Amino acid sequence: MEDTMTTSQGGESDMDYSDNEYYDYYNTNDDIDIEQLDPRKIDPEYFEFSCLLEEQVDRLLNETVETLSNNLQIPPSLAKVLLHSNQWNISELTKKFNENSTRTLIAARIEPATPPGSLLLTRYVNCSVCVTVQPLDRFYSLSCAHMFCRDCWSMHFEVQINQGISTGIACMARNCIVLAPEDFVLKHLQRPNMREKYQQFSFQDYVKSHPQLRFCPGPNCSIVVHSKEVKAKRSTCNQCKTVFCFKCGCDYHAPTECQVIKKWLTKCADDSETANYISAHTKDCPKCHICIEKNGGCNHMQCYNCKHDFCWMCLGDWKSHGSEYYECSRYRENPNIAHESVHAQAREALKKYLHYYERWENHSKSLKLEEQTLEKLRSRINQKVMSGLGTWIDWQYLFTAANLLAKCRYTLQYTYPYAYYMDTGSRKELFEYQQAQLEAEIENLSWKIERAETTDRGDLENQMDIAEKRRTTLLKDFLDV
Amino acid sequence: MANIAAQRIKREFKEVIKSEEVAKCAIKVELLNDSYTELKGEIAGPPDTPYEGGNFVLEIRVPETYPFNPPKVRFITKIWHPNISSVTGAICLDILKDQWAAAMTLRTVLLSLQALLSAAEPDDPQDAVVARQYKENLEMFKLTAKHWTNAYAGGPFVNTDCDEKIKRLIDMGIEEHQARVALSSYNWDLERATEQLFS
Repeated sequence: MEDTMTTSQGGESDMDYSDNEYYDYYNTNDDIDIEQLDPRKIDPEYFEFSCLLEEQVDRLLNETVETLSNNLQIPPSLAKVLLHSNQWNISELTKKFNENSTRTLIAARIEPATPPGSLLLTRYVNCSVCVTVQPLDRFYSLSCAHMFCRDCWSMHFEVQINQGISTGIACMARNCIVLAPEDFVLKHLQRPNMREKYQQFSFQDYVKSHPQLRFCPGPNCSIVVHSKEVKAKRSTCNQCKTVFCFKCGCDYHAPTECQVIKKWLTKCADDSETANYISAHTKDCPKCHICIEKNGGCNHMQCYNCKHDFCWMCLGDWKSHGSEYYECSRYRENPNIAHESVHAQAREALKKYLHYYERWENHSKSLKLEEQTLEKLRSRINQKVMSGLGTWIDWQYLFTAANLLAKCRYTLQYTYPYAYYMDTGSRKELFEYQQAQLEAEIENLSWKIERAETTDRGDLENQMDIAEKRRTTLLKDFLDV
Repeated sequence: MANIAAQRIKREFKEVIKSEEVAKCAIKVELLNDSYTELKGEIAGPPDTPYEGGNFVLEIRVPETYPFNPPKVRFITKIWHPNISSVTGAICLDILKDQWAAAMTLRTVLLSLQALLSAAEPDDPQDAVVARQYKENLEMFKLTAKHWTNAYAGGPFVNTDCDEKIKRLIDMGIEEHQARVALSSYNWDLERATEQLFS
């Protein structure tokens, strides 16, 4: 969908038109205005990114390294160490380097804090690691001038790499923190599998230290997502189709922020025992008390026994939900709580958490039932088509609607942690109002999809439009990235 | 690989024996087998510390990848110190972990351990109980560490109050070391230590 780098203005205006009238007719200014509307302003979730393969990432990193290496007149391998320890920020780094190159090199652990002493140039040297005397030409050192023999360097690198260390391998001398740059390490690694391991580990380190790059979190996926904007926006892997937040790499979570969703998920994991106990999977019909298991996405329930219409969330009559006010999503705080005992406050805190947790869990479960819902939809459409009610194509709109429903429900699910951590006040009221509106429209849509009887899609299309509008309005007002 | 390890240990063994610290009886190393993989170390408690006059025995295991990986060292002699486990003797010291450098030697390790006895790092504790006592009640910590040095490392300072309290618990059927741990953990409060032991 947002598979990007597709900026869509055509090259028509560059064409050579001999006929002026024709030109004016087709290229009015209005037309261009519509085409050039900034998608950032219309769609709060708009995000430009690209999915890169390992080679493409390598190329991107190497280009950066080369640019810096040329700018500062330093060898590429040192430029790489500098970039790795400075978030790959060329402009910042160039500035720092020009201000004080020595300090920058010391901070990046390329050069020692104290200049090395003079080298003793005898023909034979004793390697302090393996304690053997060897000719001088077998000795190597980093910028700190700590000399060790070739074999000890390669053994050192192999041991470190086997422990998963790559970009962080330091000199072998005591209290020396100078890092071994890539070319130095590779020069001392003979075994091809060790070289491969080193390159693999350091590649991971480089990508992880680069704010504009993010590994796709999908299982066994090696795609790296690249974006110039470092924001908590939705990115979709073009290989494994995993959807995730670009900033934190976890499940996409708009409108909630990265830290907040982390806090919420930890909380849910901690408190889930209680919550699981309380939010059981079944509820009784409020009228005839028959036990009902929820097996679809809609919160508008109709008891199969007594045909009573009620809301799954609050168990109230659905009639009170159809109109303007849908209030099941709003949590009503006890206004006298400040005067209550600690015990009562704790109970109130748990009640508040459970209120949000139940709704969060409920939408999450609905989404998990999506496959089931689609299957039901498929068989229902089959039936219709068999009994001569429209063709397969006529019914396709229902799948589009189901997709949109899932998208809306997903956003709705993530509005609950957001609301939980909001301070009480007018902004929260506005948020919960919009959330309630979205919830109401989603339930309407869900109900209409599950019970669509004709191929007349006007009503449903209308409902889809309303639901999506509510969703984007909420995100426009509250998605702050 | 093992070849370098043995070569190095052989050499370091000589280095320690010839060093001036051995001359001053501050550190000592003994070989426990012919393959140079197990050694016994000894360090003297540094002067002006609660460990003064004590002699602390260390277990040193040399890994096959030595000196590219650090030796595994732990205290055999029981000791009361924030960075050393009073139960297992495990040591929390950066140069025995990620700050190890291949150019370091057994001598530097032993001297670093001696330095650790002089300057504890209670904010990076191995033994939480000891570290808490160190931070909350330094005098109590010094008294306890001195007593442990006397009891386990041959230190000269006898504390009759401590010994008596331990004897009271022994009379109740508690094993001596267990009694010492309980009393040490509860700032030598006999009542609370008893309570904990019998609860």
